[in-house]
Amino acid sequence: MTGLELSVALFLLANLVAALIAAERGPTAADRMLTALLFGSTGVGVLVLLAAAMRLPSLVDVALTLALLAAIAGIAFARRAWRGISGD
Amino acid sequence: MTIRNLPLGAFLVRGLAFALLWWVLADGRTDAWGLGAVGAVAAAAASLRLLPPVRRRIGIAALVRFLAFFLWNSLRGGLQVAVMALRRRPGLRPAILEISLALPPGAPRLLLVNAITLMPGSLGARLSDDGRLRVHVLDARLPVAAELRALEVHIARLFGVARGGAS
Amino acid sequence: MIEFASAALLFIGAFFYFAGTVGLLRFPDIYTRLHALAKADNLGLGFVLAGLALRAETLAAALKLLLIWPLALAASAAVTYAIAQRAETLGIAPWRGEEEP
Repeated sequence: MTGLELSVALFLLANLVAALIAAERGPTAADRMLTALLFGSTGVGVLVLLAAAMRLPSLVDVALTLALLAAIAGIAFARRAWRGISGD
Repeated sequence: MTIRNLPLGAFLVRGLAFALLWWVLADGRTDAWGLGAVGAVAAAAASLRLLPPVRRRIGIAALVRFLAFFLWNSLRGGLQVAVMALRRRPGLRPAILEISLALPPGAPRLLLVNAITLMPGSLGARLSDDGRLRVHVLDARLPVAAELRALEVHIARLFGVARGGAS
Repeated sequence: MIEFASAALLFIGAFFYFAGTVGLLRFPDIYTRLHALAKADNLGLGFVLAGLALRAETLAAALKLLLIWPLALAASAAVTYAIAQRAETLGIAPWRGEEEP
């Protein structure tokens, strides 16, 4: 059933593209920051689906690393915001 | 580098946890277990230095209850926002709530602020040092404040801390 | 049976991703869009990971897939909070309802 995984992956990719267009058009800078969120959830989802569909287990490692980096970046980001040092 | 009271129990537990993590990351293969063992010991030693074991223990039962509560409510939250996005009229009535947290600063508050975003209808927007939290809600008609109190109770129980201050 | 459950989980995951994208496109302001992305997309990822874990060949591979979810959750919760706070600092007022565009 690799066809299912591949089609779900393509579906997510289409979602990602639609959301990217929306974020790029977004009225405020904050809207554009939504891309950071998108790659955390959709990007990782696409990677793990491709890993299963293409029988490339190492893509799971890529997804895991991406999630780990996103978590570290997110926490660093939030900590900075935490202390109110949000320089522009 | 003092070894006055080496927490042997904590070292063993953490080493075992890191060894398990290695096993998972290596896809269950055991051909490089020597490297994994070295890694697990080093990681356990580093973790003891960075995060010394504390007296305050998180009980397994409280953890399971918290996880069940969290999973159930994030499912509810996701369904709710999905319905709002897909129905003909989203019917949003956003508002900003301001609540004062009863949890002590530090890890409990940090967990609360992060978990709030996955709970039905609420989004943490700003936490000030005096424990006042501004929450953006999707629909002011939903009982978000009551749900946040429930989350707070669960987190307080998880960390074994009293909910002092405002209620 | 497992194959069926796994396929169902993948479909549910795709549904939540789709709902998140629709919310992103339809919701009126940054805060409401954050709600849609943070809640729906993370749930979508959770279901996709669970569906793939069911059909993983080894227990370790399944656990590895499930390990991704808490990391992604931590990342998105922190980033969501940071964006919301930033938006507040910038003075972006939340959208207040249909009567006030």
